[in-house]
Formats: sequence, C-alpha cells, structure tokens
Amino acid sequence: MSVSIILEHLLMVVAAVFCSILVGLPLGIASYFFTRVRRIILFVADVLQTVPSLALLGIIMIFVGAGKTTVIIGITLYSLLPIVRNTYLGLSEVDPGVKEAARGMGMSRFYRLMHVELPLAFPIIFTGIRIATVNAIGTVVFAASVGGGGLGAIIYKGIRVMNMKWIAFGTLSLMAMAIVFDIAMGGIETRLNRKFSGPSN
Amino acid sequence: MEYLTKMIDLYGESLLRNIGIHLLYVFASVSIGFVLGLTLGILLYRSEKYAKIILPVLSVFNTIPGIVFIGILFLYLGMKPATVIIALSIYAMFPVLKNTFVGLTNVERRYIEAARGCGMNNRQILFRVELPLAIPTIIGGLRMATIYTVSWSVLAAMIGLGGLGEFIYQGININRNDIILLGAIPAAVLAIALGLLIDVLQRKVTPRGIRKELNRR
Amino acid sequence: MIQFEHVVKKYGDATVLDDISFTIEPGQFAVLIGPSGCGKTTTLKTINRLIEPDDGTVRIDGDDISEVNRVQLRRRIGYVIQQIGLFPNMTVAQNITVVPKLLKYSKEDCDKIVHDMLEMVDMPYDQYAHKYPSEMSGGQQQRIGVLRALAASPPIVLMDEPFGALDPMTRSALQDEILHLQKKLKKTIVFVTHDMEEALNLADVIIFMENGKITQMAPPEEMLKNPANESVKNFLGKHIAVDDPSTLTAADFLRTNVVTVDSKKSLRTCTAQMMRSNVDSLIVTDENDKYIGTVSVEDIKSVSGDDLRVADVLKNDRETFRVDDDAKRCFDKLLSTKDNYVIVLKHDDTVAGIITKTSIAKALAERLWG
Repeated sequence: MSVSIILEHLLMVVAAVFCSILVGLPLGIASYFFTRVRRIILFVADVLQTVPSLALLGIIMIFVGAGKTTVIIGITLYSLLPIVRNTYLGLSEVDPGVKEAARGMGMSRFYRLMHVELPLAFPIIFTGIRIATVNAIGTVVFAASVGGGGLGAIIYKGIRVMNMKWIAFGTLSLMAMAIVFDIAMGGIETRLNRKFSGPSN
Repeated sequence: MEYLTKMIDLYGESLLRNIGIHLLYVFASVSIGFVLGLTLGILLYRSEKYAKIILPVLSVFNTIPGIVFIGILFLYLGMKPATVIIALSIYAMFPVLKNTFVGLTNVERRYIEAARGCGMNNRQILFRVELPLAIPTIIGGLRMATIYTVSWSVLAAMIGLGGLGEFIYQGININRNDIILLGAIPAAVLAIALGLLIDVLQRKVTPRGIRKELNRR
Repeated sequence: MIQFEHVVKKYGDATVLDDISFTIEPGQFAVLIGPSGCGKTTTLKTINRLIEPDDGTVRIDGDDISEVNRVQLRRRIGYVIQQIGLFPNMTVAQNITVVPKLLKYSKEDCDKIVHDMLEMVDMPYDQYAHKYPSEMSGGQQQRIGVLRALAASPPIVLMDEPFGALDPMTRSALQDEILHLQKKLKKTIVFVTHDMEEALNLADVIIFMENGKITQMAPPEEMLKNPANESVKNFLGKHIAVDDPSTLTAADFLRTNVVTVDSKKSLRTCTAQMMRSNVDSLIVTDENDKYIGTVSVEDIKSVSGDDLRVADVLKNDRETFRVDDDAKRCFDKLLSTKDNYVIVLKHDDTVAGIITKTSIAKALAERLWG
C-alpha cells in the first residue's frame, strides 16, 4: 500500500488513453470525411463501450494473457467512443462560414483539416479526452481481476479480508484521482473555449 | 461438436440460471434507480438552490467505483441479493438523475413562457411541456444506467451472488478460457441487446413533433 | 377594460416602470411602442402577471388582478410571443386546444374550436390540424400561435412583438389578418412592437414609452399631427415627411426585398425557397430576370409529378404596374382584389418590388396628416 500502486494505476490510465487518442483521432476524422464508414465506426465504438468491462477484459485476456497489456488494450477500446464521437462532432460543428472561407482561399483538403478544422474542433475533442480519462480511472479498477494490479487490487484484497483501511485507501485515491483530472482538464477546456470564442463572449 | 454437447450438458442449466439472475439484478436495480433518479432529477430542477450544492456532491460520489459500494455493503449486510440490488440501484440512479436534470434545464424558455401565458400551473407545465420535451435525454440516461448495471452486475459474483460474472471469475481462477467466454459473451450480448432495446424505446416514446430535431442532432 | 394605476417595477436600482397610469377601453387595439428597454414588454407582462409590479394596481374590468389567481387569470387572457412557442411535442390541433383543455371544455367543443379557428385563417383542417410545428413555415406557425391565444375566446389578447421574426411579406399578411380578426371578434388587444409602421397600421391607440414612462398616448393620426417630443418625432421619422400626393408614384411605396424564383427551377426547389423565406407565393422570373408571373403554394399543391418545373404551374393573370405609375392606381387595384400585394416592374420588365396594404396605410397617413 503505497504511492507506487497509485502510479501503477495512473500509468495504465495514461497509456490506455494515449493509445485511444492514437486510434480514435484518425477514426473520428474518417467518420467526418466518409459518411459511409461513419455509421460503422460509431456503431462499433458504441458496442465496445457497451460490453461489460470485465467481460471485455476477460475476452482480451484469452488472447494476450493476464497482465497490464490486457488492461491497456481493453481500456483503449473502452475509451474509443468519447474520443471518436467528439472528434467527429467537433469537426462537423466548425462554423460553415469558416470552412467555406478556407476553401475559398484555395487551401488543400489536408491543409484545411490541419490548420483550420482540427484546431477549431480541438476544444470539443479535448472534452472527449477528458471524459475518456475520467472513465478510464474508474474502469482500470477491473485490472485487478486480470492480473494488472493497480488500485483495484488493493480494494479487492480489502474486501476479501475485510480490511476497511485498504478499501478506504483505494477508494479515496481513486476518487481524488478522478476529481483532480476532471477539474484540471475541465479548467483547460474552459480556457480553450474562451480562446476560441473571442472577446465577444 | 462433442465438446459443445459436453459443455451444454455441464453448464447449460447454470448458464440459463445465471442469465436469469443477471437480468433480475439489472431489471430490479434499473427500475428502482430510474424511479429514484427521475424523481430526484425533477425535484432538483425545481429547486435550483439545492441543485447547485447537491449535483457536484453527487458527481463526486459517482467517482466511487461500483465494486466499493458492493464491497462495503457486503461487509455490513452480508451475502444477500439485496446487497447487490441496493448498490446497483444507487449506481443506476446517477445517470438518470443527471440526464433528467439536464433534459429539463435544456427545455427552451419560450415554451415555458408560452405555457405559463396559457395559464398552466407548474404541475401542468411539467407534465405537458417540460417532461415530454426532455424525454429523449431522460431515456438516454436510462440507457446508460442499464448498460452500466449490466456491467457492474458482473461483480455480484465476486461476493458469491451469481450472475454471469460467476463464469468469468471462475474461468480466470482455474485458467479456463472457455469458461471465461461462457460468461463474457452472454454478458456482452445482453448489454448490446438491452442497449438496442432502449434505442427502440426511445424512438417510440419521443413525441413525434420533436423526432426530426432529434435525428438532426 | 384594462387600467394601470401608478404601477412601478424596479430591478435592483433600475426603474423599469416609473409610475405608469393609463386605461385601455374594451375592444381597443392598443400598441405599446418605444426604444428597447423602455418598459413596453414589462408593461405587457404585468397584465397577465408574468411580472408582478412592486407598487400600484392593475385592474381588468375593475378587478385588481393581484387578487385573482394567477393561473386562472392567464387562462382568460390570450398571449402571443415573438418566439412563437408552439409546443413542438403537440400537433396544431393540440396546440390550439391547450387553453380550452385547461378549462375542461368537452372534446366536441375542442374539436369545433379547432375547425372554426383554422377556417378563420384559411388553413384547411384536413391539411393542417395534425401537422407538427416543425413541419410548417414560420408564418404558418405564428398563425397557429395567434389561434392558440384566441381559442378559449378570451376578451383580452396580449401580443409581444408577434411578427418581429417574420419576413416583410408574411408580416404584412399577418397584420392584415389580425386586424380582420379583431374587427370580427371585438377583442381588446395589447400589442408590443418597435416598428412604427406596424403601430400606425394596426393601432386604435398608440402608447409611446421611454425610460419606463409614457411619453404620449394617442390615436395614430393625433400622434402624427402632434408628436409630444423629439424622440416620438424621431420614431415617426419618415412617416411625417411631407410629400405632394399628386406626385407619388409606385416607386415611393416599394418593398424591394422580394423573393423571386427562376421559371426553370423544379417545383421542389421552389417549395424549399418558400419554406426558407416563410412566404406563400413567389414571383417568377425568366433567365434574364424579367417578370413572367407568380406561383403560389396552392398552385403547386394542385399538381403532382416530380419533373414539373415552375414554368408549368405559374400564373400570369395579375395586372402589373410600372415604377412611375400613379401610386393611387396601385392602391385601388390592391383594395379591389383579394391579393395581398401588387407587383411593380421596372421599364426593362425586371421586378422592382411589391406594394402591400401596409404601404397604403402609410400613404394615407402621409396624405392626410403629413
């Protein structure tokens, strides 16, 4: 019972969210570009989040074996939905006037995406990342069942041997972690939004 | 083939029983949670003062993992189905409450002003205007509650109370992949099926006049 | 009869209504007008107690309304708002019968009300009663908004900039309709606007407000003749400007922002254009922008077929005018037909604009009291 368990937990969260951004961002952009794949991508991401976490981890464990890799893959899949959905939403909600102006200035499709659409969509994408992160902090608790350790392990152990101190330590650390991330990332979000809405707001 | 018949012989009955138990947990807790969440959501919407204090407190509570709830209740109440149902009901309540509040808060001012101008009292405004317009969002909360509950019900097995988690835990413990799948796949299917069912429900109960708006979103 | 006696309303330090007193007679069409923030909407909303005054009394037919149950009071007063506020979860019929149902009218009575009301504004029952607000244009929605306010036959109707969000053509059509309805039903109407033309067109009496006080309360003709101060004069603005009536031509009364459609366009495009601009009819032009006729919703509805073009249904039975024609000829024409507007062309046959009944009111006012 120490700081290292908290760090272990945090490491899995950060790794999973990072992977999820790597996979989710391109999928979100694809959903925005191609109407046909949008339904499929969003449906699959929705299904992945619908599947009970422990069931998802159990299935992955069969292929990858017990351990942190299983947890990270599982949470990556689990976090896809908010990131993909918000990337798509953010891009499609960029002011059509701005998009048209960019096209009118002769920017290429890729240039427009990188320099106009993605920067403007970023606050909404960031919201998706925040939701994914806070969810992941809670879901990584299941890591304990598939041999991944983290704060879940100490809670399980606490319940099994009826040690309230361990349960409390695990729970409070988790709550603190979730709240700190939520507030910190929420603060960044507010600043991002203010930056883009300009002095009129 | 031989393997399949053997599995069905060995586990068929307990699979059905555990699906039944799992569904029972989900149905009971979601029903209780929905009623609680809807009621509290309406009350909080009506008393803005308290909402400002209570909503943040609730969202802090919401960060407590379900396993802790179940675990602590287990320590106090013992190994009873009520332990699971109480814990999961509280869990199911959060999204419904939040969405009810948000859905009601997002009803446009003009409809409420028009309703008041027509001479509706608060109760009539609530039932004839505000709730019908908030229904899509409220059902969205119900969907989340249901899916979460299917997921957290897996934990019931942790304290020996059955459900599909039983196979998953057992499989992990004795290192048998087929037993893990025996629990994981039905649990996944159950969650997806219930999610789709609620999507259908949402389309059914959304007043026709606002369905178009919904699709556009 | 509506009486305000020394009504005061404050928000913090700001005095929104500063000792207001006036009386509106039964059957009068009273228009509240003034710059934004003058207190006109606040005044309106104190009548159905959406806003409670801090001091003073508001009486309806002699009764102090602060002693009447708020909800009961509102059921006896019609209310129309700028944002329309039709309940999107209810059909047209359900929207119209909201108040009758609150008053526990029987189902048959409610049905009858829907039929009567829709007939009054020429919206066929079969076509509209079961539509949802989202399926109608803004003009149609606000017609239903007005009907909803009238449904339980309240003696008083309050209207808060009801036509403010509509395009000019629909707006003047609705103004005509509301005048017509008022003549027929003898309601007391209190109407808020910031558009002097609308006020002159509709009012029996105009109440001009400024900084929470009444600057002048007078019939339109009196206000045009003797504006109480500079700001009233400014508001009346161009309506006071003197013009020699004999030299007035059609060009002086044009509304130039008219919606046109090319005759080669498909009917679907045409309908979409109507929806977008909230109008019931469009002026049709050829590829050189020259006028060739009009097309109305009815014309389109009477035919079917996907590949039809505007050219297939357009009508050119309307008499048109030139920009330098004598204005009076246009007005005579307008008054003698059922059309809401006449079409005025430039010399190269392109469309210059239209003249509506609102233009007449303006012209008469200027002619008589300019």
